[in-house]
Amino acid sequence: MKNKSLGQVMSKYSIFFVLLVLILISMMMNDNFLSTRNITNIATQLAVATILAYGEMVLIVSGLLDLSSGAVLALAGVLSVSLYKATGSMAIAFAVAIGVAVAFNMINAFFVANCNLPAFIVTLATQMAARGAALLYTSGQNIVQIGDYAVVGQGKIGGVIPIPVIFMIVATIIIAYIMNHTKLGRSFYAIGGNEEASIASGINVVRSKYLAFLINGILVGIAGVLFMARVNAGLPNGAVSYEMEGLTATIVGGTSFSGGVGTTLGTLVGSFIIGCLNNIMNLQGVDSYVQQIVKGIIIVAAVLYDIKFKNKKAPKVILQKKDEEKKDEAPAAKA
Amino acid sequence: MKKYLAAFMALAMAATALTGCGGGSEPAADDAAEGYKVAFIARAQSDSFAAWLANEMIAAAEEYDDITLDVFDGQADDAKENAAIENAIANGYDAIIVQPNNGEAQRPYVEQIVANGIVAITTNSRIEDIEGASSVDADPYKQAQVNAELALEQVPENGRVVVINGPSGNFHADERRVAWQEVFFDARPDVTILAEDFANWNKDEAMALMEDWTVAYGDIDAVISTNDNMAAGALEVVKGNDMYADLLVYGVDGTAEACLLIEEGLMTATCLQSAIDLAALNLDTVHKLLTGEETQIDTDIAEVLITKENASEYVEMYRERGQI
Repeated sequence: MKNKSLGQVMSKYSIFFVLLVLILISMMMNDNFLSTRNITNIATQLAVATILAYGEMVLIVSGLLDLSSGAVLALAGVLSVSLYKATGSMAIAFAVAIGVAVAFNMINAFFVANCNLPAFIVTLATQMAARGAALLYTSGQNIVQIGDYAVVGQGKIGGVIPIPVIFMIVATIIIAYIMNHTKLGRSFYAIGGNEEASIASGINVVRSKYLAFLINGILVGIAGVLFMARVNAGLPNGAVSYEMEGLTATIVGGTSFSGGVGTTLGTLVGSFIIGCLNNIMNLQGVDSYVQQIVKGIIIVAAVLYDIKFKNKKAPKVILQKKDEEKKDEAPAAKA
Repeated sequence: MKKYLAAFMALAMAATALTGCGGGSEPAADDAAEGYKVAFIARAQSDSFAAWLANEMIAAAEEYDDITLDVFDGQADDAKENAAIENAIANGYDAIIVQPNNGEAQRPYVEQIVANGIVAITTNSRIEDIEGASSVDADPYKQAQVNAELALEQVPENGRVVVINGPSGNFHADERRVAWQEVFFDARPDVTILAEDFANWNKDEAMALMEDWTVAYGDIDAVISTNDNMAAGALEVVKGNDMYADLLVYGVDGTAEACLLIEEGLMTATCLQSAIDLAALNLDTVHKLLTGEETQIDTDIAEVLITKENASEYVEMYRERGQI
């Protein structure tokens, strides 16, 4: 029994182990790595990408994908900045950003869920449209002098914890709760794992897909505000290929591209693996070209290590795990 | 499901029909106006300077009764830019102004313009040595040089500096870096480059670099950036931090944000690459070539160094144009 649990622990937490090793090596290489300021820097730098990564995780688990998140973030962000400048209300700024991002995601959901078009193509199209709209709205120019809008991206609670990090932590808790403890979360795993079986078992697949895009939209909208606030400007050209950063963190964090597999904490860890890697290479003054090569190698190595430590039939393990969870929850749920 | 599809198709068709009508009316207007048809192939409408230049080109063209200007977007892609040039040749424009994405990739296509007897101008940046083609540019080397000359006096003895570069392989990024090397670093062997990296013209990437560098190196005397966006990103990190109150920060471009930062005393200097001047000079050049006043012109706009002394003039200029 103990041997089995050791194997399970290694399989479940292999990606955490990768992060731990990376942190230990970084600590040995540079004394500043674990300083409060550096840790806050890493967390702040990662907040936007991690929030986007959660959206990607929810979608990929459901067998979907979003290539438009960077562009929609930029459009939502510049519209939000410009409405803030006009009204001075941060509530309106958030509402606009989230509204715009959700609207784009509902368009994605319509074509994917109702018209059965591949998410890859639909979101590639919305990526172009959203970037074009952001550039058209601003005539390609940055919006500057955004006043107190920047506080959301640069302020710190109690002078210690950056506000974007608070958003990241809250998003982590909410997404983890949805994915692990709600029927909706289980429906995401089910439709991503086997859509036809889900239909047969009575899951409203169309509704679940809309809700997956809705969650992604809310996250992208929030990320839009945080991004523009951090850079203290409305950048229509900002966040280019951020969807790739989100996707990389998601995949490194153990989410399977074939759907049905992935966790919130894994995604967070994946994001930190990439963030710590970037950070330690900058601290050590590693040449920029070499940095890209190292990152490529380490990403593949991390994913390979993760897969090796997991059961070769990974999806089945997850299904079993879900069955076990269901058994655990069974007494609480009505029979 | 079918209903949705049908509705969508109907909408798409309506949209196509409407844009079709809009497009159809343009050539008729062109035919009516007796004058010169000029095509401007912009490098990328998504690049903030290129977008500004395209807008100013349109505004400058309105000053000429005998010139109609159409703008095409190269989308920061050699293949798309080359295709836009080919289309403009086929469409019988009298002059084609090319803002290259990558000079060498567009060279054969600009040569085709000349071979077809069409007036050819390369701008921002020029493609050198094409027989029969003219050029109008802002010299990226000189833009960095005026900053570097100022830095020679300002950076303290044994100064510790960091360098933030534009995209590797970009002509303007590379030329600006070369100017800093030859004018400043070669003349000041006492200065140490603590770190140097690419932030690809982006403010957010420059912020992440500067955050890491302030942790790794502590005291920094100067930030040398090859554009203003990245300089503003570096400043964002040390804003309000007394340790960096005397930090020198140099950029290039003269963006609205940089002018404001210089006026506030946070940024040190930048060189204005004025899209207004560049557009006016382009239109003046193309007009002279089309009317046969001259047959070959190679010219540059002046480099204007912006420091605390004159920043407010340019802030005012941006205010007038509604960019602030």
